Amino acid sequence: MSLFDKFDPLVQSRRALDFDGPAPVATPFEDIASPTRGTVAGQEVILAGTNNYLGLTFHPEVIQRATEALETLGSGTTGSRMANGSYADHGELECDLAQAFNWPSAMVFSTGYQANVGVLSSIVGPGETLLIDADSHASIYDGCRMSKAQTITFRHNDVANLDRKLARLGDDAKRTLVVVEGLYSMLGDQPPLADFVEVKNRHGAWLLVDEAHSFGVFGHHGLGLTEHFGLLDEVDFIVGTFSKSLAGIGGFCVSPHPEAELMRLASRPYIFTASPSPAVIAGTRAALKLLTSGQDLRRQLHKNMTRLYSAASDLGYTLGSDQPGPVAALILPDKATALAHWQQLLAQGVYANLMIPPATPAGLCLLRLSLSAAHTDEDIDAIIHALSALKSERTQAISA
Amino acid sequence: MDEATQTVRAAIQQSLAAALPDHQALDWDVALSATAGLDSIQIMNLVMEIEDHLDVSVPVDVLADAHTLNELAAQLEKLVGDAAT
Repeated sequence: MSLFDKFDPLVQSRRALDFDGPAPVATPFEDIASPTRGTVAGQEVILAGTNNYLGLTFHPEVIQRATEALETLGSGTTGSRMANGSYADHGELECDLAQAFNWPSAMVFSTGYQANVGVLSSIVGPGETLLIDADSHASIYDGCRMSKAQTITFRHNDVANLDRKLARLGDDAKRTLVVVEGLYSMLGDQPPLADFVEVKNRHGAWLLVDEAHSFGVFGHHGLGLTEHFGLLDEVDFIVGTFSKSLAGIGGFCVSPHPEAELMRLASRPYIFTASPSPAVIAGTRAALKLLTSGQDLRRQLHKNMTRLYSAASDLGYTLGSDQPGPVAALILPDKATALAHWQQLLAQGVYANLMIPPATPAGLCLLRLSLSAAHTDEDIDAIIHALSALKSERTQAISA
Repeated sequence: MDEATQTVRAAIQQSLAAALPDHQALDWDVALSATAGLDSIQIMNLVMEIEDHLDVSVPVDVLADAHTLNELAAQLEKLVGDAAT
């Protein structure tokens, strides 16, 4: 008997993905040369499996601000925001975020995961209810667990199911926080946000939108799907991350409720961890300015999204969403086919993400391609060409 | 077997047929995850079907405490009883 025996099923699942060649899980990168180029097993590949939606990881202003902060303020804060870890830039970044939304409250967390866990575990507690989409990210589930509130799931993107579950709660719906995401990272699909808003308003419930994958991608100022649909006046909390469009690491929560600031006194994931390093904060401030100040990056990203969705569909692939987004999830029939697609795409110089159960919704096997504003037209051509070659190769194999 | 028990067991059986048609003959004393090999998504889909049949909402922590169909049935009977009072 060993404490490690319980990991046996995980070890078996992991071994199923062992083969000669680069690993599809935790793929090692020998080098990263730009937002869209990396080296895997000695081969340069187009990066089409990152969350670098605006391609800002190498932007000169981001690098310069981060470098200046590293040199002037040191490599780390060595402490919590509640102790010695609140530098001027941490507060300034919170002001930047609050101003971007024109809301009174903004809090910075050390990771996006901690933002969800930190907000959900402190805003909702025993005697209250969390109603979350069944396909929610692990950080939402973990935040719910830590909150000790009653947690109920509703069917993914199912407005009628949410309506029924809020109705069952009766008056307790007014002490219920509904949680949805602006874009679901596995299938790349979006919620019917306006319909969810109508339902939660009718029942008097509260609404949190996790814009981790939609911040920077949608909305005139890049604030996410909520801004895109003109619903900023209808939500209570927006959670986001710095590790996707903002090209750093960290998370945030903004709210139109000034009382949201009280989380600073109660949120354990905010209090009991070191604050983000000065370089991360400075780089994020520069990236946020780029994200909110212009349309060019979003325009290029949307062009790339539309091209890839259209081409994949024309090639006969089934996509996880019919609305073009930064994630194009190709639904494949089984694990073996998905793994073969991943390997063959890599051999053709395109790195994507292999996603298989139980990490995927509805037990689907996915090849997940993600797009960046930094992908050039030629990069998209190359990705489409690789998918096309893959399709004809597999069609020939099936015919044979 | 009282009425509540019968209702719950019928709902589970009908939900198995809808959500997990390959597992309709599942032993009700077998651990759903560890022994029957169902993953968390399959179990959640099953529970959502049951919710629709019984018109109750099943909290996530109830699922964590129910490892077999019989244990799930016992938890559901409590929920149905609570909803009726």
